[in-house]
Amino acid sequence: MESKLKNNTSKQLLWIGMIGITMFFAGLTSAVIVRSADHGWERLNNIPQWFWYSTFAIVLSSLFLIIAKKQVRQGISPTPYIFLTLILGLLFSYFQIMGWGQLVNDGIFLTGEKSHPAGSFLYVITLAHLIHVLGGLISLLVTTIKSAQVKYTKENYLGIELTSIYWHFLDILWVYLFVFLLYSL
Amino acid sequence: MTNILIFFIAFLVIVTFIQILRVRELMANVEKRDVNEVTKKDNRNQSLLLGIVGFLFLAACVWQYLAWGDLILPKASSQHGEIIDELMIFTMSLIVVTFFILHLLLFWFGYKYRKGEGNEVAYYYPHNNKLEIIWTIAPTIVLTAVILYGLNVWNQVTGPPDEEATVIEIYSKQFSWTARYAGDDNQLGDADFRLVAGKNELGVVSNTTKEYLISEYLPTKISQIEQDINNSRKFSEKKRLTENLKKLKEQKERIINYFADNPKSSEKLLSAEDDIVTNTVHLVVDKPVLLKFRSQDVIHSAYLPHFRVQMNCVPGMTTQFAFTPTQTTKEMKEQEGDDFEYVLLCNKICGVAHYNMQMKFIVETQEEYDTWIASQKTLSEKLLTKN
Amino acid sequence: MSDHHKETFITKYIFSIDHKMIAKQFLITGMLMGIVGMLMSVLFRLQLSNPGESFAVLEWFFGEKWAPEGILDPNMYLSLVTMHGTILVFWVLTAGLSGTFANFLIPLQIGARDMASGFINMLSYWFFFAATIVLLISLFVETGPASAGWTVYPPLSALPEAIPGSGLGQDLWLIAMTLFIVSSLLGGLNYIVTILNLRTKGMSMSRLPLTIWAIFITAIIGVLSFPVLLSCSLLLVFDRSFGTSFYLSDIIIGGEALHHTGGSPILFEHLFWFLGHPEVYIILLPALGIVSEVMSVNSRKPIFGYKAMVGALIAIAFLSFIVWGHHMFITGMDPFLGSVFTFTTLLIAIPSAVKVFNYLATLWKASIRFTPAMLFTIGFVSTFITGGLTGLILGDSALDINVHDTYFVVGHFHIVMGLSAIYGMFAGVYHWFPKMYGRMMNKTLGYLHFWVTFICAYGVFFPMHFLGLAGLPRRYYTNSHFPMFDGLTDINEVITFFAIIGGLVQLIFVFNFFYSIFKGSKSTQNPWKSNTLEWTAPIERMHGNWPGEIPTVHRWPYDYSKPGAERDFIPQTEPLKEGETEH
Repeated sequence: MESKLKNNTSKQLLWIGMIGITMFFAGLTSAVIVRSADHGWERLNNIPQWFWYSTFAIVLSSLFLIIAKKQVRQGISPTPYIFLTLILGLLFSYFQIMGWGQLVNDGIFLTGEKSHPAGSFLYVITLAHLIHVLGGLISLLVTTIKSAQVKYTKENYLGIELTSIYWHFLDILWVYLFVFLLYSL
Repeated sequence: MTNILIFFIAFLVIVTFIQILRVRELMANVEKRDVNEVTKKDNRNQSLLLGIVGFLFLAACVWQYLAWGDLILPKASSQHGEIIDELMIFTMSLIVVTFFILHLLLFWFGYKYRKGEGNEVAYYYPHNNKLEIIWTIAPTIVLTAVILYGLNVWNQVTGPPDEEATVIEIYSKQFSWTARYAGDDNQLGDADFRLVAGKNELGVVSNTTKEYLISEYLPTKISQIEQDINNSRKFSEKKRLTENLKKLKEQKERIINYFADNPKSSEKLLSAEDDIVTNTVHLVVDKPVLLKFRSQDVIHSAYLPHFRVQMNCVPGMTTQFAFTPTQTTKEMKEQEGDDFEYVLLCNKICGVAHYNMQMKFIVETQEEYDTWIASQKTLSEKLLTKN
Repeated sequence: MSDHHKETFITKYIFSIDHKMIAKQFLITGMLMGIVGMLMSVLFRLQLSNPGESFAVLEWFFGEKWAPEGILDPNMYLSLVTMHGTILVFWVLTAGLSGTFANFLIPLQIGARDMASGFINMLSYWFFFAATIVLLISLFVETGPASAGWTVYPPLSALPEAIPGSGLGQDLWLIAMTLFIVSSLLGGLNYIVTILNLRTKGMSMSRLPLTIWAIFITAIIGVLSFPVLLSCSLLLVFDRSFGTSFYLSDIIIGGEALHHTGGSPILFEHLFWFLGHPEVYIILLPALGIVSEVMSVNSRKPIFGYKAMVGALIAIAFLSFIVWGHHMFITGMDPFLGSVFTFTTLLIAIPSAVKVFNYLATLWKASIRFTPAMLFTIGFVSTFITGGLTGLILGDSALDINVHDTYFVVGHFHIVMGLSAIYGMFAGVYHWFPKMYGRMMNKTLGYLHFWVTFICAYGVFFPMHFLGLAGLPRRYYTNSHFPMFDGLTDINEVITFFAIIGGLVQLIFVFNFFYSIFKGSKSTQNPWKSNTLEWTAPIERMHGNWPGEIPTVHRWPYDYSKPGAERDFIPQTEPLKEGETEH
């Protein structure tokens, strides 16, 4: 398949996959909306600070990735910036886990007698997002390595484009989920 | 041995089949035609079969109605049920007429337009916008009528219950139904699953049940187990009993905590004192009733087909359905035969005995009902009698 | 794509990235699972119509534990009902139908060498295969396969103490479904991207065969709805294995009060049916597409109202997302919500009716060639009419009160899915078999298969409407505990009789299929004299589908019996003649 067509179809495959992932999270967030309208819903009113830090981390990481893409278009090696994105992505994951720890300290549990649906939703939704981030981290790792091996050129940097699209998607998805969780939990 | 014989015979049948097919193919080769080509004879035979089988099919549908039509449920025994039945007859008639017309067209076209003498070339007719519009608008009009009629009936059925309606709770669990009447005040007491124990099978919340559970039932069971533990010689038995003892003590704690954490007004607590728990439901003909449904374990569904009533019983929530029975059991026995009974069935898969969860409903006159309800003990009375 | 590496047995037949091989893998796996699912239904029908009677065959299949003395254990009955539903809805009618025909037809009918990503396509099949293995394993676990119904409502599906099948059996079911959903999504991605990007020159969207339109729209529905089933199952997995309370609340089971509070089983129903309803259209739409094609070719006439047919497909797809509440009318939902769902549900009848009228108009003044595929197509229209009409009763909330979860529903959904959609699948197999294997399926066996199936299938499912109107609930192990159902034994026996014969006759189809792969009479390149592109590819199947250039398309696929033409069909690749206008 000629390369421009392959570029287009690869991107479209990714886009439709992301639509699927969006619907998965739409299912989870709808569950929150339906459940919160029902009897016996107790609001948490407590989203740990760590989740603010992680939001900052992932937004910053996307900025670095944008710079990386600009660089490769200019023919400069984007490896340092992609690597920075990866580091920030790992930082994001670390902050998420710290956030869960904070929740446990505050007495908000995933399961068991002392748990409530609001808390359980918070854990499950952030966990589900993190699992998708794992895919993004792997993708960033592969891209970093390939970039270091100078596999991308000014004309063909499909791998970076695909990684970018997916990573920005995870970023925007996180911001949406975070705002949603703030307002409904 | 029989198994081997069966396999052998099946194998022979298959081989015979294959040989017959091969012979037909060879014969077709001799006659220089493809054995699988659709011939004029095929078209004629198949279209004929279509006409015949089609007609027989429609005849069979009519026959089924004639043979089995009287097996369907008798006329509804409730006020809202009567209007549902009218809607059903209307919609069914519409459907049946459409079914016959469309099928007649289908089978007729299939038969008439077979490829063959006089019909070698089809008519190139790719579209006709006017026709499309007509047969989009026509069903829309018909369906609008069906929708409006249907929604009208639905609003009447699900409208707010009569204020005077007798309130009865129907409690479902694997695999039985229990009813709780609200007593003279027509107010059901609160209930909570944490209070289900001993004779308080429905978890009713009242001062009497509190007394019963905390001061009588649980202490008795606890001391009994403590005695058993002392008398026991076997280590494994002692261990099991100690576990049970722990669970009972925790249950007692939970119940005490429940009352502490969920203060109820004295009217609420009192309203439960006259509640009556029964295993059959008696209703007064022509008097509205409001059924409230709860479940102890999984989703059940309270299905009262003769009254056109159905409502899921969902653990964690209370659902309800209001209706007015219009025919007494005696009247139904005269119409349908002496072994007729109104019955409540479970209609949502709930476990191994889903097929056998039933409770009898009896519709009777006010006097008969008064006699019956007067002979029933309230839950409080049952709990207070020591036996 | 003609620079393929040397093929080994593994890369040709097992880990193939060729869409035609993947399609056949889906077909055969689907067929074999279909045999398993059908067998289950014949076996549990024996129990249903002859309760308490001993059947040696039951003990032969299920052993001493699940059919002691030849009488089916009630838990196993519920397991069979559950697995029958799961296998037929997902494995046969979704993967077997979409997986086969989408994979086989898309590149061939749009003029592409293969799918956009052969690798993702291959993954799609192997996830499906893994799901199949997991599901089959679940049939043999000690506590029994999943048994809470194919709809797996909690709390029943969440608590092993409530029913044994909700233990390991349900875990494996959930794992199998997760793998299945991934497979479906991977497939759907490919279908959409391939149709959008890889059409050959001249193949505009308005020249696509209706089959491709149907598959395209189905894939879109799938991408939007299957992930919600994934989120629904995820929450169920948490409730089952990690003690959360998404769906569970206020439960006493096995004599003990569980700690769960705050959960709602109705939440599960909303999430489940948000997929569940579009799912049945994922099943139906490809069948509608296949039937449009087969009917047109065998009527030697354009399908009537191409644009309206496409519009109807889109309307059905759109509406399918806003009707899910009609499965929940009696859950105690707000009556206003019930009204909304009645309204949207009855609306779906309009595009469905338009399609039926268009089919009838296609048959009018046609010149019908009765191949087995054509017979199944006519059977499709018949069952779609019958099943669709009873949907009007079920979709009307007030009427649903008394027929919900009775045999009326069982009759309705079997007629639309078990009959209509399966007939569409049969039509597709008979019609495209020559393209798949270069040989013809035996015509006489095909006729026999159709007529016996048509009669027996209606014999099984039409009487169920009467059972439902008599108040008989579904998923009952036996009807003998309620005197009010005593009069229904005759009907039950008739149903079982037809079920056994109808089930057995499917073996003729299976035999015909496999026999013809090896010994069927060799086919010509275009045996049905069809216009669509797949028949211009050489009969010897090859990677890349066409040797040399892919043909260019000059017209829509339905120029049959066009006035002024020499033959009664004009393939899409033929340029317009002088003065000829395109439709």
